[in-house]
Amino acid sequence: MALIVPPSNEKKRVKVYELKNNDWFDRGTGFCTGRIINDESKIYVESEDSPERLLLETKITKDDGYQKQQDTLIVWTETSGIDMALSFQEAEGCATIWDFVSQVQQQLLSLGGPDDALSDDAMESFAKPLVLPQPEIGNLDDIEHAMRGIASTPQGRDALAKFVISEDYIRKLIPLVEMAEDLESLKDLHWLCNIMKMLILLNDSQIIDHIVNEEVVFGVIGALEYDPDFPNHKANHRRYLKDNSRYKEVLSIADPNITRKIHATWRLTYLKDVVLARILDDPTFGVLNSLIFFNQVDIISHLQNNPGYLEQLFGIIDNPTADIKRKRDAVGFIQSCCAIAKSLQVTPRATLYTNFINHGLLRVITFAILNKEASIRVAGTDILVAMIDHDPAMVRAYIYKAINEKKTPLTETLIELLLVEVDLGVKAQAADAIKVLLEPQPTQPPQQQPQSQPQQQPPQAQSQEAIARQTGEFLSKVRGVDPLLNPQTESFIQHFYDNSASKLFQPLKDLEKRETLNDITFHEVQLFNHLVEIIIYLSRTHQFRSKYYIFSEDISSRIAQLLSAPQKHLKLTALKFFRQCIGLQDEYYNRQIMQKNHFAPILNIVYETMPRDNLLNSACLELFEYIKRENIKQLIEHLVETFRSKLQEITYVDTFESLLNRYEQMQGFNPDADTTLFSNDSTSTPNRTPNVNGNQRWQGVKEMDAVEEAYFNTSDDEDEPLPKAVLSKAAKMNGVTTSPMLKSLVDYPDDDEDSMDTTPPEPEELGTKPELEPSPMLQTPPPERLSEKRRREEDNDEDELGKLSSTKRRNSGSSASNTGSAAGHNTLKRKKGFKNDRDSPTNGPSAKKIEISLSAKKAVSEAGSKGDDGG
Amino acid sequence: MSDLDKAISELRACKIIPEPQVREICHKARELLIEEANVVQVDAPVTICGDIHGQFHDLMELFRVGGDVPDTNYLFMGDFVDRGFYSLESFLLLLCLKVRYPDRITLIRGNHESRQITTVYGFYDECLRKYGSANVWRYCCEVFDYLALGALVLGTSSTLEPSFTDKSQAIEPVDDDVEIEIMNSRNEVTARFPRSRRRLFESDGLNSSPPGTPSKTGPSGTGATSDSGGSHHSGGAVLCVHGGLSPLIDSVDKIRLLDRKQEVPHEGAMCDLLWSDPDEIDSWGLSPRGAGFLFGPEIVKRFNHLNDLSLIARAHQLVMEGFKEMFDSSIVTVWSAPNYCYRCGNVAAILELGEDTSNGGVIARSNGDAGRSAQAFMPNLAPRSGPGRRYRVFEAAPQDPRGMPAKKPVADYFLRETNRTASGTTSDGMEVRFKVIGVGMGVTLGPFFGLAERQGYPISTYLARRSTPV
Repeated sequence: MALIVPPSNEKKRVKVYELKNNDWFDRGTGFCTGRIINDESKIYVESEDSPERLLLETKITKDDGYQKQQDTLIVWTETSGIDMALSFQEAEGCATIWDFVSQVQQQLLSLGGPDDALSDDAMESFAKPLVLPQPEIGNLDDIEHAMRGIASTPQGRDALAKFVISEDYIRKLIPLVEMAEDLESLKDLHWLCNIMKMLILLNDSQIIDHIVNEEVVFGVIGALEYDPDFPNHKANHRRYLKDNSRYKEVLSIADPNITRKIHATWRLTYLKDVVLARILDDPTFGVLNSLIFFNQVDIISHLQNNPGYLEQLFGIIDNPTADIKRKRDAVGFIQSCCAIAKSLQVTPRATLYTNFINHGLLRVITFAILNKEASIRVAGTDILVAMIDHDPAMVRAYIYKAINEKKTPLTETLIELLLVEVDLGVKAQAADAIKVLLEPQPTQPPQQQPQSQPQQQPPQAQSQEAIARQTGEFLSKVRGVDPLLNPQTESFIQHFYDNSASKLFQPLKDLEKRETLNDITFHEVQLFNHLVEIIIYLSRTHQFRSKYYIFSEDISSRIAQLLSAPQKHLKLTALKFFRQCIGLQDEYYNRQIMQKNHFAPILNIVYETMPRDNLLNSACLELFEYIKRENIKQLIEHLVETFRSKLQEITYVDTFESLLNRYEQMQGFNPDADTTLFSNDSTSTPNRTPNVNGNQRWQGVKEMDAVEEAYFNTSDDEDEPLPKAVLSKAAKMNGVTTSPMLKSLVDYPDDDEDSMDTTPPEPEELGTKPELEPSPMLQTPPPERLSEKRRREEDNDEDELGKLSSTKRRNSGSSASNTGSAAGHNTLKRKKGFKNDRDSPTNGPSAKKIEISLSAKKAVSEAGSKGDDGG
Repeated sequence: MSDLDKAISELRACKIIPEPQVREICHKARELLIEEANVVQVDAPVTICGDIHGQFHDLMELFRVGGDVPDTNYLFMGDFVDRGFYSLESFLLLLCLKVRYPDRITLIRGNHESRQITTVYGFYDECLRKYGSANVWRYCCEVFDYLALGALVLGTSSTLEPSFTDKSQAIEPVDDDVEIEIMNSRNEVTARFPRSRRRLFESDGLNSSPPGTPSKTGPSGTGATSDSGGSHHSGGAVLCVHGGLSPLIDSVDKIRLLDRKQEVPHEGAMCDLLWSDPDEIDSWGLSPRGAGFLFGPEIVKRFNHLNDLSLIARAHQLVMEGFKEMFDSSIVTVWSAPNYCYRCGNVAAILELGEDTSNGGVIARSNGDAGRSAQAFMPNLAPRSGPGRRYRVFEAAPQDPRGMPAKKPVADYFLRETNRTASGTTSDGMEVRFKVIGVGMGVTLGPFFGLAERQGYPISTYLARRSTPV
């Protein structure tokens, strides 16, 4: 002890807190000193008011979890189990005492041996080597108590885990469960439950692996049925797990080790989800997950390497004589495998799918999704979607092959399914699957994106997609195919438009013959919803082909018919299509909309719904707001010239009035100005504005390629195409971006608008330009570019802890100042939680805050000690 | 008993209802919600509730403490699902009540009412366990897209009516000066706070009360009703939103111009409303959640002034005391999930706003106050007199009457259960410890991006993420 220099005994003013009933109780204010007396290092606090009274006398021990928080707080647990805290007036004083504590602890640790912490009465019996009381019914109290003591330190936990394994301690505890049940001794059962919980939370994979073994699992789970937190209840875990009928063995698995692993995995998941759901901490959760994972890897690889197994399995489906129940089980089994595969790494997953496909997975899928039984169809689509999710290019390749071999390709089956399926879930999955299959490969690498369109894809979206593609790219590399030059996908998509699209969209086209939609059936509504959503998706992802298709089949007129369907949600979906078209800012879509007079039914919806403030109405307003905001002149002209009186009548919002004004301005100034002066920046300007709903445009407006242009030019008998809409700078200065003023809820004074108009258009430099021009009050820009924000977010894995602590600091700062303002304001002063800091401003942390920090500290140390075994 | 009533009583017993019925209820709810505005107008009296997070038994406790539907009007500010073990039962019960009593209960959207978030934080997993397929999850997500983004409570009173009380207790009149009253779950008043002297003084000056009644204006409301701001009876309009404000939204009416029927985007006004948090900062700041912003007292006070709001009520952040007023009571966080995640040890609260009857029950439809303008605003201007607020604080349901809260196990297994998010749900219970206790924050969008790219998520989530409409 000679090495330690006790701190100079100038007194440090502190407040002593003790945790009582989850509240920090103020023991008083005094002066703190650290002293070494009779080789024992102690902290003393003498009362400020009566110096002879000691507020605190505590011996520093090896590990009582001393923690320093913020700059002025030391928190620890007394050997008696009471949580204590010292709150210092000065950070300096806190540092001095903290140094003293650290030194003493280091000294104690370096001395080694049975440490002071264990010299407590209850723990004396197992000073060293570690010995737990005999596992007998009369000892459970002692065992629980002893374990609790030992498990409070990391060294203790390690030693305890070793002891439990080497002594086969758990097996010895098992008979006690039944014994206690026979005795109906609830107390003993509660102790047993606590013992089992502690053993599991030791977080030792060997122990956890052990407890799910046949011989011990029911004892352990049995004990866990008696949770002292719910003294009036008993769970039925054993009955659940003993029910062998839950295990469906389609083909018997010869290897007993694998069978054991299957059962063990099932029990582990049950433990994780049910038995321990409330009490699991992160490290134990991680251990459970990794045990499950490694079992699954073994199981899956065994299935593939066991000769003849897969042949037999897939043979069940192909066997015409096998009964349907057996086939259903086989499909379920394959579904299970695919579900497991999702958590496997890419390479073993790819191997599994290759193996499965070679044995006839696609036949299985076709069999399943065309089956009469809904449950089998659900399973079939599930497998298919899992496979597409794994590697769409692979699935496309197989479909392509089938096309070349003149077999029915999977896409046809899917389309069939979408059209006739009555199960809405399967229908939705089929629609999703079609969309993903038709997703094009990237047409250009991201770095080739024009510089002038920095906002086209936010960095965050890019990175997401990049990651999303990683799997696919990796697989492509394995196959030696560059995803950017994949002609297969191209011809696959072409084949879709040439052959499949007409079948898929036939129901839409049939609308032409239909006079009214009042008799539309429930299933038709569902189907139209999916079809329009697919069209929207296509118009966004492959613009050229979808545009050609939409025009040649006059799809937009059919969708316009849906605008008058009685079902509002169907109207909404149809409206989304037109919003999408306008959002593309594509000359030809605009022209189409004008020629076919599609604004008429949209304005009808406005008339039907106004001035009601509902979703449909808002969606319409958003569409017109977009046209106004983007200043799409072509459409504004068309709207005003065609619907002038109609627009004039809509006065409950000023959207339409400003459209009219915009038109007048356009006429009043130079009507041709835009086409001549600004046509040059037409490709760059429109894309700079992100959408009001926060989404970025999918791919922006693409330059037309030669074929496309040739086609549209020949099929078009009108004049020169007008240039794309221009966000005219001149117009902008004239207040075109004035925010809309509604009159229904709030009466805003007129002079607000003026102030908005004078706002300089600076937000562009923020990274996202708020499309609603900010008023002065909101002008203060967010401090960082959004792109930077996203970058930080990507870093977030590595500095989770740093973030945690920094946010904690920020938080405590805010609550401290909050306390200040509340006290000043006199309203919340008496509120619980603020009561402790009334007379010591330096002891900023209020009672609650200490508690919060304390938990944070624990969480941090847990996370820190376990690293990243979340698996 | 109608099918709907049957479903309600099943759900009240925490039992799930058959899939076809879920579908039907979701479709009915959709028809109702499509008629609602982005910002729903709600008349006082109303009880405002924060996050529920699938803690079904605590939701039952909430109804016990706050009064049952339809006797009490409720406004739930989102985050019905994820984290707890009974997201499905909780959300479906609320939805059934909405369909059954459309005018009595208002549901608005929280950041957890989203495909992407629910696949990571538990709801998706739960649907899969309970129904064996993701269909029910799909129906619910569809309904999420239709939920309103906010609500505006009008016709509030600045005074507190006496609470409904136990027969044994004498009804105690509440002093008109009481602005805030806190009650426990046994219906006992634990604290009362009068309006600050400054406000009283000002309103006295404005009202020129007759001598003899220096600080109280009688309930008859003589003279005080016509002038806004200084009115002694109207508590002003209260905006309710799950997260907070957006730099893109400077007036309540701008929210009307959003097309809300979509997955919650990663940025933009709609995202901010559901993700932002108030914080002691100047103006705007970046949110550590990776979505939405932080906003300071100035922003709130200006927004309230310009929109003639007396208060913003929001949820979204765990507060250990159940509620927390900030920025001179211009904004309050209400949290209604006690012992969050079955481990946080917090209490929960609901906020009751009374009805202003001084105008003979006629509610001024406008919260407007002509003549206000940005220029006229001075930061130190006295805020609008707030509504009388009664917070009922309650703890976790004493005990789950049917056993211990746990996830439902999967019925059958071939190899194992079809728990698709074995790795994804890592964040489910546990991450909470960090995020909530540690940082005082709930979910973040950040970790999702990392997780989501692992395999194992439903393809529609993938599409939702990729197909961002223009």
